[in-house]
Amino acid sequence: MTYVLGQFPGDRALLEAARTLRAEGHENLDLHTPYPIPGAEEALGLRRSTVPIVALIGGVTGAVLGYLLQWYTVGFDWPLNVGNRPPHSPPAFIPVTFEGGVLIAVLSIFFGLLFAYFRFPRVDHPVFEVEEFRSASIDGLWLSALVRPEDEEGVAEALRRLGATNVSLVAAEREGT
Amino acid sequence: MSTVPETLPGIDPLEAAPVLVGRPDDRALTESLLRPVLEPTRKGFLALLGLLALGVLLWLVCLYEVLFKGIGVWGNNIPVAWAYDITNFVWWIGIGHAGTLISAILLLFQQRWRTSINRFAEAMTLFAVAMAGMYPIIHLGRPWLFWWLIPYPSVNRIWPNFKSALPWDVFAITTYATTSLLFWYLGLIPDLATARDAAKDRVRRVVYGILSFGWRGSARHWQHWRIGYLLLAGLSTPLVLSVHTVVSFDFAIAQLPGWHTTIFPPYFVAGAIFSGFAMVLTLMIPARKVFGFEHVVTPRHLDNMAKVTLATGLMVSYGYAMEWFIAWYSGNPTELFAFVNRATGHYQMVYALQIFCNVVAPQALWIPRVRRNVLALFLIAVLVNFGMWAERFVIIAVSLTRDFIPSSWANYAPTWVDWGTLIGSICTFGLLFLLFLRFIPAIPMSEVKELRRELEHEDHHAAAQALRGKP
Repeated sequence: MTYVLGQFPGDRALLEAARTLRAEGHENLDLHTPYPIPGAEEALGLRRSTVPIVALIGGVTGAVLGYLLQWYTVGFDWPLNVGNRPPHSPPAFIPVTFEGGVLIAVLSIFFGLLFAYFRFPRVDHPVFEVEEFRSASIDGLWLSALVRPEDEEGVAEALRRLGATNVSLVAAEREGT
Repeated sequence: MSTVPETLPGIDPLEAAPVLVGRPDDRALTESLLRPVLEPTRKGFLALLGLLALGVLLWLVCLYEVLFKGIGVWGNNIPVAWAYDITNFVWWIGIGHAGTLISAILLLFQQRWRTSINRFAEAMTLFAVAMAGMYPIIHLGRPWLFWWLIPYPSVNRIWPNFKSALPWDVFAITTYATTSLLFWYLGLIPDLATARDAAKDRVRRVVYGILSFGWRGSARHWQHWRIGYLLLAGLSTPLVLSVHTVVSFDFAIAQLPGWHTTIFPPYFVAGAIFSGFAMVLTLMIPARKVFGFEHVVTPRHLDNMAKVTLATGLMVSYGYAMEWFIAWYSGNPTELFAFVNRATGHYQMVYALQIFCNVVAPQALWIPRVRRNVLALFLIAVLVNFGMWAERFVIIAVSLTRDFIPSSWANYAPTWVDWGTLIGSICTFGLLFLLFLRFIPAIPMSEVKELRRELEHEDHHAAAQALRGKP
């Protein structure tokens, strides 16, 4: 497999190129831009992000664990009589339950994004082989397509036709996007 | 269009100042915003760093005194068991609140002026929370046992008492510190990648490359990143309100006159945002000048921050007024005495400082000319920092000096170690902040570029409409 990279002068041309290549049947496309481009999800045909579900599961788990921790420690395992309040006293357990929910939700969002969604750390991605690709985090709008070796010339030609400059080919050492 | 203007254009008082001066292109923006990170070290930077390092040394000496000789080196004693230590804790944690407010709440409200100052405020939050977190630990009689606060099955058999506000504090502060750090870092990853790609030397390329985990600006990543960032903002918003609420519970659930007040949670949160915005202004006004951020941190940002400072200052003033009203209305003589003692007792000068800095001085911010005058704004912000510290001292220490029984009354006087731990922590905070400005992109470049793109689209739209409107 080979990555075909091309830099586009504007976001309209970039999105148009993505749509055209997708219509031609290329599915392994990606855009690389210094900031999120509105319309990129539609152009690439991406499904809705599942991050909110991860956050919800994390948050509920954290809150339940937070409550259980308090109930088990001071309400069940070693009931402490402080000011004659009941050992299991729900109103006093609200703050830690809330903090627990937020903490686990935040941890699952951050580490979920980093390791599951982004598959980071990955500093040796093939696109970094192209020196000009450095502009992708500065001002360059790039499109990358992962294609079979027999298609690479065709896709490179298509990118040039759609207005791309710096069209380059990089061998993908491993499978995946 | 493609370069950053050297000077600000004259500001028409009838027209709101822009959130971004000119429409520099992405490369020019990157260059101007990364200059502090990529340029060679300046002499002034090293001089300031050395000065602050002296303060850090003082801090370390004081920490040595506290840890090896015990908390008797402070002026604290019964009845004033909490004094500078907890005052500093509450002051720092309050300062930390503005960062999350700017980055989370203003993001949810889609306030554009948040964009160029959020990273800055978040970094301030992190360092302020780090300073705050130190105090509850060192003020313990046996600080090496602080981990007893963590609920783990130990041979002691006993668990933390979750019906007390102090273990809530542990959870609130650690959650807040973790959330602030991760929120800040998630926003930072794209900019660290920019620093990696803009750097010319190998060391920076490798270091920023590792720190950015191999971010390649992929549209698939941006999609999840945006949702994740928004969710973190949504979670931080109730969190930031809960943290200072829990801190205020430390006092509000006690019986002590001056502490036992139901108004504390909202009043503490307003005070926290008030002091936090004052600290952002204190740091931002010199930094934007020195590092040349004036095109992205414009008079509009300062004006808006001044307005938030004024608004929260009024909320705090309302809190002061209500405390007096309730002290009188409750008919409780010890409660009323606590407040009369604040204004007329041994510490009346501290109270006067609090009222002057927090109630009187911010009133100048009603005047637009004052909000546009950076020097005046800076002075008011510094005064508010002093005033909020005084407020916490008055609430915490002065209330403790006079409780119910006159036989237990005693005054408190700080020792040099008290002053050293306060001044030293300010210097440590300053040192950390200076290192942040030098090594980490302080203005979120990807967000400013996105903002520029939006503004450009609006310019085009407005121009097209103006053309169409012509006869």
